[in-house]
Amino acid sequence: MADVLSVGVNLEAFAQAIGAIQALRSSVSRVFDCLKDGMQNKETLEGREKAFIAHFQDHLHSVNRDLNELERLSNLVGKPSENHPLHNSGLLSLDPVQDKTPLYSQLLQAYKWSNKLQYHAGLASGLLNQQSLKRSANQMGVSAKRRPKAQPTTLVLPPQYVDDVISRIDRMFPEMSIHLSRPNGTSAMLLVTLGKVLKVIVVMRSLFIDRTIVKGYNENVYTEDGKLDIWSKSNYQVFQKVTDHATTALLHYQLPQMPDVVVRSFMTWLRSYIKLFQAPCQRCGKFLQDGLPPTWRDFRTLEAFHDTCRQ
Amino acid sequence: MGVTCVSQMPVAEGKSVQQTVELLTRKLELLGAEKQGTFCVDCETYHTAASTMGSQGQAGKLMYVMHNSEYPLSCFALFENGPCLIADANFDVLMVKLKGFFQNAKANKIETRGTRYQYCDFLVKVGTVTMGPSARGISVEVEYGPCVVASDCWNLLLEFLQSFLGSHNPGAPAVFGNRHDGVYGPADTMAQYMELFNKIRKQQQVVD
Ligand SMILES: [Zn+2]
Repeated sequence: MADVLSVGVNLEAFAQAIGAIQALRSSVSRVFDCLKDGMQNKETLEGREKAFIAHFQDHLHSVNRDLNELERLSNLVGKPSENHPLHNSGLLSLDPVQDKTPLYSQLLQAYKWSNKLQYHAGLASGLLNQQSLKRSANQMGVSAKRRPKAQPTTLVLPPQYVDDVISRIDRMFPEMSIHLSRPNGTSAMLLVTLGKVLKVIVVMRSLFIDRTIVKGYNENVYTEDGKLDIWSKSNYQVFQKVTDHATTALLHYQLPQMPDVVVRSFMTWLRSYIKLFQAPCQRCGKFLQDGLPPTWRDFRTLEAFHDTCRQ
Repeated sequence: MGVTCVSQMPVAEGKSVQQTVELLTRKLELLGAEKQGTFCVDCETYHTAASTMGSQGQAGKLMYVMHNSEYPLSCFALFENGPCLIADANFDVLMVKLKGFFQNAKANKIETRGTRYQYCDFLVKVGTVTMGPSARGISVEVEYGPCVVASDCWNLLLEFLQSFLGSHNPGAPAVFGNRHDGVYGPADTMAQYMELFNKIRKQQQVVD
């Protein structure tokens, strides 16, 4: 309500200022009229020039006067919009049909939200810069956003380099076979088969892993037209859970300067699922909890835990 | 399909087959398992016809022809400890044509029927085994869908079985030991049912 009042007080000056604007406009058009009409008929050439210059000066003076008047009035009007944190958009609060168009309250909320976001992003970036070599899973949202920005150069690695890194990893783990294909241009897609336990579809962008889906060894990983199916999830709850954990792992293993190390770390972690059905939980000692085997693998020790048994 | 374990559940003391089945299914429902229709596995026995036997008078081999509602379009033909043939369902018609070589021992027909339950990635089938008009025993089948290698998940299966079988402790099925790293298949399940049925045929008839 304070906004409404402060505008109301200055309404008179406002009306005068509008009048002054009109005056200024007409005096400006008079200047141009005068220029358009040119020199009027007078006996002598000198007389004609003098009269024209005098007219022109008069008109310019009146423009000057009107402009000064407008400036004076505009000071009286004040700048209500500047007092408002939302500047001119604050005037939306004057809209009488609040119920139909709750723009203003939405705007306020968006403003608060973006303020908070900026604040938290600032904090997170401070923390991340302190430990640039390792990113914690706790700041997933922010860090995921930062990732593409932080490494613009490594996104344009030659495909041959990516092939080399992947084939080296493939040779590293005998129980794991990696098949690389590029169905959509330069981005590679991997089909990782881990023993007779599971299959993983890995969608890469250069050497960065964008998306990963874990499915059962006996599940179909291709669409009807023979392409890798990167969208549908596994029919089994255990692999849906492992998919979630693998996505978390992608955010955990981060080393912006050395993307090949990241891929290798991820694959090493993934390989620990070779004992998905054979390893009891390291905390409760059981195989099953709510019908699921220990689906979590510690990022450091690779030990098996139930989702709810990990720290 | 995943790895499957078929075992016989002994009838609880002082209870009938029907009561024991109800006890089991109630335990499953308490665990959180959801009912998902019914199932049926049947088995017919064929003798090698006398005309084809060798002059030495050796006993003819028995062949079992089985059906499983999980595979409605297939028919399974098994020899004890022998190969398993998976054929189209109209294999039965062929067997009628072959009656000069294989004779159906109709009195030996045995089957199990019951309810399917889904619990997480497990599929549980508790069935009443009947031969002719009488209930002869209880079959419990547990399939763990995500896994394809039997030896990988036996401990996990056992833990699950014990969560509703109580004190009864089923041993690992013989087929689990046959091939250590092989991929488990439907024929392995049928072999387990064949063994279960053979065992029940030899047992004393249970009074129900
Ligand atoms: Zn646990």
